[in-house]
Amino acid sequence: MSKSWWVLLLAIGPLTGMSFIASARTYAEVSGLNGSAAGVGEALAPLSGVWAPTFSACELAAVFLLPFVAIGLVAGDRQSGALRLELQQGMSSAARIAVKALVLLAGWMVAMLAPLSAILLWKIYGGSAYAPELFTLALGHILNAGLTISLACSMASFTEHPSTAAILTLGFTVGTWIVSFFGSIQGGWWERAAGYTPAAMVAQLQRGLVRLDVISIALILTLCGPGLAAIWMRLGVAERRRICESAALVTAVAVAIFACTWLTPSWDSSENRANSFPESDERALRSIREPLSIEVHLAQEDPRRVDLENRALSKLMRILPHTQVRYVAATAIGLFEQSNPGYGEIWYDVAGRKTMSRATTAEGVLEAIYAIAQVKPPVESDDDVFRGHPLAVAPRGAGTLFYVVWPAVFLSSAIVLRRRLI
Amino acid sequence: MLFEVRGLCKRFGRITALINVSFQVREGEVLGLIGPNGAGKSTLFECLAGVLPYDKGSVECGTRRVREVLFYVPDWIAPWPTQSVRWALEFTVGFLGGRASHYDEVVEQLDLGPLLRQPLGTLSKGQRKRALLAVGLLTSQPALLIDEPFEGLDLRQARDIAAALRVHASRGRTMFLSIHQIADAARLCDRFILLDSGRVRGEGTVDELAALAGRSGDLEEVFLALT
Repeated sequence: MSKSWWVLLLAIGPLTGMSFIASARTYAEVSGLNGSAAGVGEALAPLSGVWAPTFSACELAAVFLLPFVAIGLVAGDRQSGALRLELQQGMSSAARIAVKALVLLAGWMVAMLAPLSAILLWKIYGGSAYAPELFTLALGHILNAGLTISLACSMASFTEHPSTAAILTLGFTVGTWIVSFFGSIQGGWWERAAGYTPAAMVAQLQRGLVRLDVISIALILTLCGPGLAAIWMRLGVAERRRICESAALVTAVAVAIFACTWLTPSWDSSENRANSFPESDERALRSIREPLSIEVHLAQEDPRRVDLENRALSKLMRILPHTQVRYVAATAIGLFEQSNPGYGEIWYDVAGRKTMSRATTAEGVLEAIYAIAQVKPPVESDDDVFRGHPLAVAPRGAGTLFYVVWPAVFLSSAIVLRRRLI
Repeated sequence: MLFEVRGLCKRFGRITALINVSFQVREGEVLGLIGPNGAGKSTLFECLAGVLPYDKGSVECGTRRVREVLFYVPDWIAPWPTQSVRWALEFTVGFLGGRASHYDEVVEQLDLGPLLRQPLGTLSKGQRKRALLAVGLLTSQPALLIDEPFEGLDLRQARDIAAALRVHASRGRTMFLSIHQIADAARLCDRFILLDSGRVRGEGTVDELAALAGRSGDLEEVFLALT
């Protein structure tokens, strides 16, 4: 129970409180509190309106606070010299690191009591909490914490001093943000790599989308860090051998990650099926046996292309993962291509039958595909429409819980436990 | 013979710390490793304990593993700074395989009673040394390697420590002590290994070393002659 862990616990309560209170107030106003437009509330989903913002405190804590907890636990023994005593015990390095990683994860689960308290408050207010999407959201932040712990453990084992490990860990995190930035600009392999960064993984799971490739890669990377730490904490093994073992592990991990990128199964756990077409449309699409290819004449940063990808293509790829999508554009922003003939066109091809559309909405894309696939469009059902869960209730008591009770409980716990240990 | 070191070599880049170091450690003896600053004493102990890899040579312990035969107490460490002395000793018993039956005796011998509740990070250098010695004395390996057992201790404490080590040695535990001060080594140890510039310059009792040096005298004179 290091000081940095207590700092994390003390901080995550108010951080969660701020996010929860702000998002709950906005949700309440949009739901009709204080006389605003009540009709808008029909389409409100707690996942995007309340839970994702509330749990964002976990993402902040995982990036800026958790690394110090992990580094302190792993590097502290080395820096103080305790490792020289512990290594003589005979416990394998892998077991030692595994225990430390599990302790860190358990510590993180204590921190996640903050957003879980928010869920409890929401239920007390009378709000709706759809378990599968909440579980997915929590899973995303637990995996994110696992990745942070993995990175911090490995950096702590490579370096002599904890501050060096902290700098490297934060530098690596910033590096993933740079990959995401390049992905949004360059596309191609950068974009593909950006889809597996911790931030992208959390974003997907925050929308309720569970992709097997992303989860698998996250788990592999979570195990890789402690593996490297276990190799490097063996101070009595020659450095050359540790380098060889690390290279072998990294190679194996790279191969495993590459294999996982070909996994296509995914699940939409969101209550409003934000990541999926209506079920009736999904059934209709699955009936298409012939290969589908789509040629998009939109630039990388054109907002219409972003819309097309978010509203239609990402959902389409979940149902028809072998769909070939090709992008044609001369520039990244498309600003000077607007006058080019063909710019903005989206061509669909099913077994040689082609059609063109400029629609970037889900309905427009589906209409085009049904036409050339010669599939009868399904009849819209009222059951497919998500009605939303409006809740016009102010977040009473949340301020007291997260700004007063939470810090008081953990501050007093820290003092009591410290005295008891001594 | 408890264990034997054969041809141990260790380099740090261009610096050669240990060159073909060979010697034997016998059961139940108090063996002193003496040498000037930079001779390689701490490096040798770390290599023997397995916390520093060596480049060539071997440590033979018969059919047993090295960590089953010896336990090494480093000099310049400050482990578990936020934990109490009591915690450290209980950790030694629980995790490092220490002997719970020796707990009270070791605490008394090293006068750790008043310090048990204090965090290790708040102890003075001498107090921390006594706590580390207690950790070592609680362990169960037949040989105990201690780097500078008297460092940071005043005269009275050094004598008390020496007496405690003698008690444990008299029960058959082998003590292998790296000692900077020749006078302290001469008072406590049965046999000596002289290390200088990474090489063993002599091994044996004072008389045997004197014969090797070709002169009579105390350990200091023999040491100066051989190194």
